[in-house]
Amino acid sequence: MKHAHIWVFYISLLGTFSLSGQQVEETIAVNDSLTVKEKTPLALRFGIDLYNLGRSKLADDYNGFETVVDLRVGENFYLAGEVGQVETTKQIENVNFTSSGSYFKLGFDFNMFENWEGMDNQVTIGLRLASSRHELVLNSYSILDRTRFWPSSDFPITNGYATGLRPDLNAQWFEVVVGFKVQLIKNAYMGMSFRLNRLLNDKLPENFDNVYIPGFNKKTEDNKFGASFNYSLTYRIPFIKK
Amino acid sequence: MNKEKNGLLGFLTLLIFLGCERDDICIETVTESPDLILLMLDFENPQNRKIPSGFSIRPIGIEKLLPNSPSDSLTLPLKIQENHVQFEFITNLGSENENIDTLQINYQRFDTFINTACGYRSNYVLDLPPAIILNPGSNWIKGVTVLKDTISDETRAHLGILH
Repeated sequence: MKHAHIWVFYISLLGTFSLSGQQVEETIAVNDSLTVKEKTPLALRFGIDLYNLGRSKLADDYNGFETVVDLRVGENFYLAGEVGQVETTKQIENVNFTSSGSYFKLGFDFNMFENWEGMDNQVTIGLRLASSRHELVLNSYSILDRTRFWPSSDFPITNGYATGLRPDLNAQWFEVVVGFKVQLIKNAYMGMSFRLNRLLNDKLPENFDNVYIPGFNKKTEDNKFGASFNYSLTYRIPFIKK
Repeated sequence: MNKEKNGLLGFLTLLIFLGCERDDICIETVTESPDLILLMLDFENPQNRKIPSGFSIRPIGIEKLLPNSPSDSLTLPLKIQENHVQFEFITNLGSENENIDTLQINYQRFDTFINTACGYRSNYVLDLPPAIILNPGSNWIKGVTVLKDTISDETRAHLGILH
């Protein structure tokens, strides 16, 4: 998993470099052409996160779906959001659990990329406020017993005691998003975004922790940061033309 | 634009560093699941500790010696997977007056979350009765007394054996 993250990061880096390469040409081009500014049409784009989709297909212990939406409201300003659903079973160190629930993220993206005439690509930085409703099931866990006198103390606890459902949990966090969207063909875009998440508040499960929050991903004990990304394919509906 | 680009690269670099997760290890200083702390007390004067002569304890169900040598205060490991544990309490070991009492300690377990790296800590509550002697007749153990019924740390004794 970690390897996949790093990979996508490198790909994105290449992406940003090649995009900024285009930018240099663009400034030259602008100098000797007529500077006609296109009026910004209000446009709605929606799409799905292919990363979530692919991961659900490939991994037995992960099932997730995310839709992405953005609405262009200014020349370089987009209202943006994501809605998703995740169910995943994980073994993290000494606990095995299933986390399931849904989340939504709402915020904006600001485009920093100046397009050449006729192009519609974005390199964006943005913010999201996000919220999840989820539940955790503790499937099994081990007991800390370093001295282990009785041999049976190695066995993980698989039923009773602390195992079981922790319903009605929620979490709120914000995300700083860096991403890009490239126009593939008219009205179709491929995009990628990287997110640094900071937990604001969460309802803790009884005698356990929110070790994995749908949409936020892994939460570590003393570090309230999380990271995530998506790889989206979106379609634009230009519904208002000025 | 250049400034923005630098900012962007900086952010992406920050992302990889934060993306590298710290390895979660269970630190040695985290207290593990507690053992039962037992005191050998004088039956006539239960305030006083008294060590029996030729005293020894053998756990039942395992060919293993207890980690500490028997004295007037000792720690007994409890079984996580069961709610009772049995030991042979021997006095006058090896002599003709050797007397073995088989003691069963009864308890309930509850587990508390530490963190994902350490897992859970098991705690116990002594049941009623906290201990029973399984062999009939000529018992050298006269009774037991509960000093602290919740076993969640090893800071003080939980059970006293009167003899």
